[in-house]
Amino acid sequence: MVGKNCVAIASDKRLGMQAMTISTEFPKVFPATERTYYGLAGLATDVQTMSELLRFKVNMYKMREERTIQPKTFAHMLSSTLYERRFGPYFTEPVVAGLDDKNRPFICAMDLIGCINFAKDFVVCGTASPNLYGMCESLWEPDLEPEDLFETISQALISAVDRDALSGWGAVVHVITPERVVTRTLKTRQAVCLC
Amino acid sequence: MSSKLAGGFSFDNHVRNAALQQKGLTLPKAVKTGTTIAGVIFKDGIVLGADTRATEGPIVADKNCEKIHYLAPNMYCCGAGTAADTEFTTALIASQLELHRLTTGRESRAVTAMTMLKQMLFKYQGHIGAALVLGGYDCTGPQLFTIYPHGSTDKLPYVTMGSGSLAAMAVFEAGWKRDMERQEAIDLVRAAIESGIFNDLGSGSNVDICVIEKGKHEMLRNYARPNERGQKERSYRFARGTTDVLQTSVRSLVTVVEGDQMDTSS
Amino acid sequence: MSDRYNFSLTTFSPAGKLGQIEHALQAVSQGVTSVGIRANNGVVIATEKKSATPLIDDTTIEKVSLICDNVGLVYSGMGPDARVLVNKARKEAQKYKRVYGENPPAMVLVREIANIMQEYTQSGGVRPFGVSLLVAGFDERGPSLYQVDPSGTYFAWKASAIGKNMINAKTFLEKRFNDELELEDAVHTAILTLKEGFEGEMTENNIEIGVIGGGDVAVQREAGTAVQFHRLSPVEVKDYLANIA
Repeated sequence: MVGKNCVAIASDKRLGMQAMTISTEFPKVFPATERTYYGLAGLATDVQTMSELLRFKVNMYKMREERTIQPKTFAHMLSSTLYERRFGPYFTEPVVAGLDDKNRPFICAMDLIGCINFAKDFVVCGTASPNLYGMCESLWEPDLEPEDLFETISQALISAVDRDALSGWGAVVHVITPERVVTRTLKTRQAVCLC
Repeated sequence: MSSKLAGGFSFDNHVRNAALQQKGLTLPKAVKTGTTIAGVIFKDGIVLGADTRATEGPIVADKNCEKIHYLAPNMYCCGAGTAADTEFTTALIASQLELHRLTTGRESRAVTAMTMLKQMLFKYQGHIGAALVLGGYDCTGPQLFTIYPHGSTDKLPYVTMGSGSLAAMAVFEAGWKRDMERQEAIDLVRAAIESGIFNDLGSGSNVDICVIEKGKHEMLRNYARPNERGQKERSYRFARGTTDVLQTSVRSLVTVVEGDQMDTSS
Repeated sequence: MSDRYNFSLTTFSPAGKLGQIEHALQAVSQGVTSVGIRANNGVVIATEKKSATPLIDDTTIEKVSLICDNVGLVYSGMGPDARVLVNKARKEAQKYKRVYGENPPAMVLVREIANIMQEYTQSGGVRPFGVSLLVAGFDERGPSLYQVDPSGTYFAWKASAIGKNMINAKTFLEKRFNDELELEDAVHTAILTLKEGFEGEMTENNIEIGVIGGGDVAVQREAGTAVQFHRLSPVEVKDYLANIA
């Protein structure tokens, strides 16, 4: 989600096999650089493989080009990595959020074969995405300050996750500003399912 | 470094994915562009038009995406079908056309692009789901083509593609004339795309227009915005402290003060 | 017997030298002179365009080549070898663009070219490229000028010269170069440097100039990779020559 000179990225923490919960501390959001974070939704093995692959690629980029990768460049790199596997994809849907070298907010989401969705407001992905679309569409407004952005993204995520049987077990929210990245953990529905 | 060239696809995960699918894993859906795209030839050039909706199943994934892709300075291409395929196929061909221009020192021709696209799509036997409307102005004049995912092509004075193609074609069939003026052509394409936006559920949001004439082109992004969302009357902003936080950690970023450039003179 | 170390280019001589690379450098130093100058707001590269006979249509010769929007190069040495390198460099640039969605920084592209040239000093069945290159680029770090040699060596230069008259040209450049140089002045200096060892009269048809940048430095930096490399047309070259005379 984009705010005023800041961006936020959030995810839940559950890892499950269909309805069975395996882990309640499964990281899905990773730092690409200091000011660029990305989240991966989808098949757990691919989430981990992709995050390692991207760590490798970002580090290689840094050494080769002697500069830190910009969020937009990172998104393109990620997108072409996914499209290379067009006919044997990794089952991951990434979200990228970060600030570029001039502190301009950047967010985007991708499908599993790398089609980028650039947005100026918010992007979502994962099993709760229909819920999230609805929440974000009504809660988001332009030029939110970091503190307000945190409340908005958190409430959107919590409400969406509460109505998604496959998500839950707490959430992590990162708010990225030019000065700092604030990471907060939230409490959400701590049960497999309410039914 | 892995290089991504034409046909440089990796099938590494294919067997695994097939096995997973057999075990009942439901695949995430790729983004499609339900799409209405269209193009007409007018007196001095080409007008291309597209809607701006991208869908993931029944969900609108992007309300204002760009479906008119760059191929060359004198050539643009509307894409329908699997969004990633249209995006990357046109980017690949644009890249090859640029190399071709550099080696030949000549402006690219629309037939060249059309042939490269159809040969690539035919090679992949329809698995690359890109349905395209290609428009360009080259040394042979204004050119308009459609290219289907399996590699067949058409050359017509007015064309439509995508799920809204019937709605758009209905407008063309009723209103198309030979040798239209520029504005007349833009209006007609706009009407055709709007017909797709309103009558086809796969298409929606805004109208993008691209006019290509001899030696110039004009991209009219969001030429018409018939689906502007109403102003929210109230704010849903939460009071700070609404959300219960379990844990907070802060990563302070060192801000580098912009100084003088490093002295490299010695 | 000393010839035996020249038979295979991948064999070191007891003195620790690879004969073929030295010979390649020799081929470069027989080629016509090229100069490059990095100004504070852009880069200029220039070369002579001498044809062996007046019967050759010199309008068809292109020695300054565009690699991608923000990078161009000029060579001294063997034309056909340079052509191969230009094609490879262009492909590398496109490959980069397809992955990252933006033009490659000059440094990255230069390294790719240098890596290709190095490969040809260590592979079987090939010979090194008989060319040195001057690569002009403009990216987020500003203007840059690189020289690449047949061995695959590359350095960033403020001003450099390659080819037949390189020693004299470099001495000339050392005297003329300063850090405040603007692109317009740099073009003049480049032409004057070429003039030093020029045989016959210099016209717009027998030299070739490529420039990138120019104008306001701050604006250029803001624009970053949007800065476009271009070859000067004979008319533009003629204007510069008229200003010098």
